[in-house]
Amino acid sequence: MATFASRSPSWWTFIQRRKTRNVIIAGLFVLPAIVNFLIFRYIPILWAARASTWQYSLLGGYRDWIGGDHYLRALEDPILLKSLQVTFTYVIVKLPLEVALALALAIFTNQARRGMGTMRTIVFTPVVMSMVVVSVVWALILNADSGLLNALLRTLGLPKQVFLSNPNLSLPSVITATIWKDVGFSTILIVAGLKGIPGIFYEAAVMDGANRWHLFRHVTLPLLRRTLFFVVVTQTIFSFQVFIPVYSMTQGGPLDSTKVLVFYIYQLGFRFQDMGYAAAVSMILLLILLLISVTQMRFLRSNVEY
Amino acid sequence: MSVASPSRAAQIARSQRQAQLGQIIGWFFTLLAYALIAAVFLTPVLWMIGSSLRPSREVFQYIFPLSWRTFVPLEFTLQNFADIFGISEQGRALGFQFGRALLNTAFVSSAVVGSSLVFNTLAAYFFARLEFPYKNLLLIFVLGTFFVPQEATIVPLYIVVRQLGFADTYWALILPWYASPFVIFVLSQFFQEIPKELDEAAIIDGASLLSVLRHVIVPNARVGLLTVSLLEFQFIWNLFFWPLIATGRKELQVIQVAVATQITQREIAWGRIFAGSVVASLPVILLFLALQRYFVEGVALSGLKG
Repeated sequence: MATFASRSPSWWTFIQRRKTRNVIIAGLFVLPAIVNFLIFRYIPILWAARASTWQYSLLGGYRDWIGGDHYLRALEDPILLKSLQVTFTYVIVKLPLEVALALALAIFTNQARRGMGTMRTIVFTPVVMSMVVVSVVWALILNADSGLLNALLRTLGLPKQVFLSNPNLSLPSVITATIWKDVGFSTILIVAGLKGIPGIFYEAAVMDGANRWHLFRHVTLPLLRRTLFFVVVTQTIFSFQVFIPVYSMTQGGPLDSTKVLVFYIYQLGFRFQDMGYAAAVSMILLLILLLISVTQMRFLRSNVEY
Repeated sequence: MSVASPSRAAQIARSQRQAQLGQIIGWFFTLLAYALIAAVFLTPVLWMIGSSLRPSREVFQYIFPLSWRTFVPLEFTLQNFADIFGISEQGRALGFQFGRALLNTAFVSSAVVGSSLVFNTLAAYFFARLEFPYKNLLLIFVLGTFFVPQEATIVPLYIVVRQLGFADTYWALILPWYASPFVIFVLSQFFQEIPKELDEAAIIDGASLLSVLRHVIVPNARVGLLTVSLLEFQFIWNLFFWPLIATGRKELQVIQVAVATQITQREIAWGRIFAGSVVASLPVILLFLALQRYFVEGVALSGLKG
């Protein structure tokens, strides 16, 4: 009994020490990633929050602390309002078009017919091209004088258009180019979702006398719900951050008709040397995105069961 | 019987004819859709490649009316490529260094893929298998970065990187990307699919965590590792906004920035823009074509579809 009592603590500390050792080793596995996210993803937000309360530029450094003045200025900034309008229009028009198109392409290329694999590869090609290349090539396609699209319009006997210099056509042009690039990604995700639907559901529905529309409406769509929500959530976040096509196709113009938020932030910080205000607008964009993601996530969670 | 009923044989023949007709119509529409999709998604790519191999004046000369000449060079030349690589006299005079930009991009992309394979695999193994106090909080910390929009925080990220003193160096292009919440999430999904008994057996045999990871987990998750590497490679290869801001020196210029600066210049040389676009996108397109089989399998397995 005495021996047990004297041995028991050391045995216990041995286990304890081993446990601590294991926890430390486990921690080392995840440490590099945690450090990365802390420095490169979370701290920038704190930094932006700080910079947004200062008069700050890259060349001039910090000048005066001005508290919430940048945010007050944002409330009355007509360009910011316009920019918000453009960004929301972009997302609200692009998203449904892209998802509907991706759904159609996915269902079409998921048929057990020859050549459908090739078709999926073709639709996926723009996805692996860079946004820069896509926008640069589309800028030339949409060129007023020698662009491919105007050549097509003229060949069909239609009048030519100045796509990128017409404020009514500039945003639709940007949307077209980005849908062309992004739709393949959504398509591949939806195809993966379609492949996950057991064939027995379709067989059962056909036995019950369902036609093609019934199959789509009552089997495919409900069972694709999770996939579609995933596509919508990720594409919303990506779309709100559109920058490159605007940078290389229109530079925000004409008449600010394509000045999306991220492009405005870039202009403020790097062209107008107003980094403090740029940081404030970044914080506003961050807040909008956070609100949207949280809403979508809630919606997603409440709709998962079927 | 006022109306003569057709004989049974004629009835069968008629329904067969109808079925055949339906099949032909079905094939017709499939082919039509096939042609339309191929035209929409391939025409810009073919136009880009064809135009990169001809003198700029030929691009303008044959753009209208649309015919095969619009796409196929009549006077085949590699002049555009010689220009952008700075091999020709004109290219040297204009200061084009696409070769350097390609090397920079290849170096940065490989460095990121290499380091991210190491650190993300470690972190994914941690989340899939190891025990740690408050592990769920850490997971929320990692997945929370999903809500930090990249383009929106790029300006603040630049402020942080500048404070750390590695703005305008290769480190600026590599360090922020060595860990990725997306890759950690996908890899840990893959790791969870591997039967736990495999690593438990190895641990009973006295293997360390690292050697379990190396000899049990990694060999069983090859498709997943390949898929995320491919996605990561094209993500870094195609980055534009971050390199544009983080580096100013021409020696550090990456290929996407090189392509984009061509179109913002006053005088736009179409042939060189097309050549630059081909050079910037072909490596990734070829990589995806070569590894496509694994990639599609990987997306299907990864639960990426949501």
